[in-house]
Amino acid sequence: MPTDSEEGRRIAVSLVSRAGHSPNSAQVAKAIIATLQDMDIALSPIIGRKGVVALYRRSLHLCESAYPDLIGALDSTPEHVDFSRLESLLQQQTPNDALCLGNHLLETLYQLLSTLIGVSLTERLLGAVFEAPLSALPAQDTSP
Amino acid sequence: MTTKVTINRLATGVPGLDEVLGGGLPEFSFNLIAGPPGCGKTTLAHQMMFALATPERPALFFTVLGEPPLKMLRYQQQFDFFDNEAINHSVRYVNLADDTLAGDLDEVLRRIVTEVEAYSPALVFVDSFRSVVLASQTQNNPNNNLPQFIQQLGMLMTTWQATTFLIGEYFTESDTNPIFTVADGLIWLRQSLQRNSMVRKMEIMKMRGQPTLPGLHTFRISAGGINVFAPAGLNAPAHPPQADATGVAPKRLKMGVPRLDEMLGGGLPQGYSLLVAGPSGSGKSILAATFLAQGAREGETGVIAVFEQRPNHSQNATLARLIADGKIGLVDSRSPDLSIDEIVHLLLKEIARLKATRVVIDSLSGFELALAPTFRADFRESLSRMVTALTNVGVSVLMTSELEDRYTDLRFSPYGTAFLTDAIIVQRYIEVHSRLLRIMAVVKVRASAHSDELRLYRINDDGIQIGEMLSGQEGLLGGRPTRQRGSVAAEPDRYET
Repeated sequence: MPTDSEEGRRIAVSLVSRAGHSPNSAQVAKAIIATLQDMDIALSPIIGRKGVVALYRRSLHLCESAYPDLIGALDSTPEHVDFSRLESLLQQQTPNDALCLGNHLLETLYQLLSTLIGVSLTERLLGAVFEAPLSALPAQDTSP
Repeated sequence: MTTKVTINRLATGVPGLDEVLGGGLPEFSFNLIAGPPGCGKTTLAHQMMFALATPERPALFFTVLGEPPLKMLRYQQQFDFFDNEAINHSVRYVNLADDTLAGDLDEVLRRIVTEVEAYSPALVFVDSFRSVVLASQTQNNPNNNLPQFIQQLGMLMTTWQATTFLIGEYFTESDTNPIFTVADGLIWLRQSLQRNSMVRKMEIMKMRGQPTLPGLHTFRISAGGINVFAPAGLNAPAHPPQADATGVAPKRLKMGVPRLDEMLGGGLPQGYSLLVAGPSGSGKSILAATFLAQGAREGETGVIAVFEQRPNHSQNATLARLIADGKIGLVDSRSPDLSIDEIVHLLLKEIARLKATRVVIDSLSGFELALAPTFRADFRESLSRMVTALTNVGVSVLMTSELEDRYTDLRFSPYGTAFLTDAIIVQRYIEVHSRLLRIMAVVKVRASAHSDELRLYRINDDGIQIGEMLSGQEGLLGGRPTRQRGSVAAEPDRYET
């Protein structure tokens, strides 16, 4: 699902910024989980915990073709969101692989929500989660 | 100076709703929006919410069990009124599904209060309230008391100065649901299905402290949201058509047909309604188009409502040109679920836009067919309301009516509606010397002298040409006139006008 999109770049910048300079796998995993938790905080008051769980599980399934290991992050109880399986799975990757995987998953989730409620409303709800912190790279002018 | 409380009335942002409510929505009122699935409850709530919510006076939309919020956001944003920018700014969604599932109404109330205290909303919506009711019923908890919950919620919301809406379904009017007592306003949405047409109707069953418009009001849901067609123009006429107290007779309008003005006693009095009845092909539409064209020649604008089923309505070139030039407005609705109020609404809008003075309805027969079946039984009443609404805004109305040629009785319209109009012109065919000739007569012009002659007329490229009376013949209205005893035999050429 993810493409070389604006959101993809923004999510990547956000993740790098959260993970810090030369992070190890655990730090990358922590950054990814923190981002997911922020998304959960932004969405669950509106769509409910179960709505967030459903989106998360669907995103894991969508990423399965590119990252078959990800399906291992699914737990057997679809009622609750549990990021611990994902965290331990990410910790087993190299920092770079973990970053790619996390980026792919987050972008998938973002795009999944966009297909359901539109790009602008998704941005309205989740934009703050990926807002570039002050330490991030300056915004690039992408206009031709 | 009065010391009584002043209740502010909020403009709902839903076209027509404020009128039906009797002047808007009372501030801090506690309302129920009820109706069957798919009748537009959630849409109505959203439309009002986006119209009323501001960053200073935000709205909280509690979603309980029912339509999943994701789907609601997905579908509601198809409407023009949905403003993405308002979300999490002036409009906040709060999901209470988990609390409701637990079935503890005290907990649901506590959550609502917490959120209300956190955001100080001016508007609170609970969708759908039915699930709260069901949750209370399935619980085996003696503390779960629905009347108490509703009473407390109503009290809390009013104290918190929030205008509140509970959205529910499957309520029946005969229910002794406690909410009916507690609620200040009951807005009931209905769907009337008859044959192949579905008509949406709204009823304000209760709105404390203000005079609502009673009865069922039709509404339509389109991309712009809900549009309620409040009954229009039932107030006192702004421009009484008849001679006023000063005795000044109303201005007369020229019909555009030579000699017809003279038959009408000097033209059609301004603000009158005129019925032109006649069989198929007698030239009713031509007369109607000529009436509008004459107006345009005198610098007036007009509106024509066409209800014929053929797509190329305007075979009259003059009329087509006037429509293209914007001198005549066209109301040409083919929806299968039209209501009288919607037609009146469309006409009044067009009249206001063009500042029109002449209006043509062509024809009443087509109009009856265009109405949704559910309204046909009340056609005469509907027609009366339309004529009243139109003449009340001061326009002169010409309506055509298909009249089946019957020579055993003298009828002016198939609906018994002749009494509704101020003036009547009848056209008929007669047979003379194996020719089909047309005659026209002015049957009635209220409060005015008029001709009592049956005049021959014919239609040529220049329109309707009125000739003389058919002298020496009698029994014309029977369709087969006979020569009067002692009169000279008329030659066919004499009938040519």
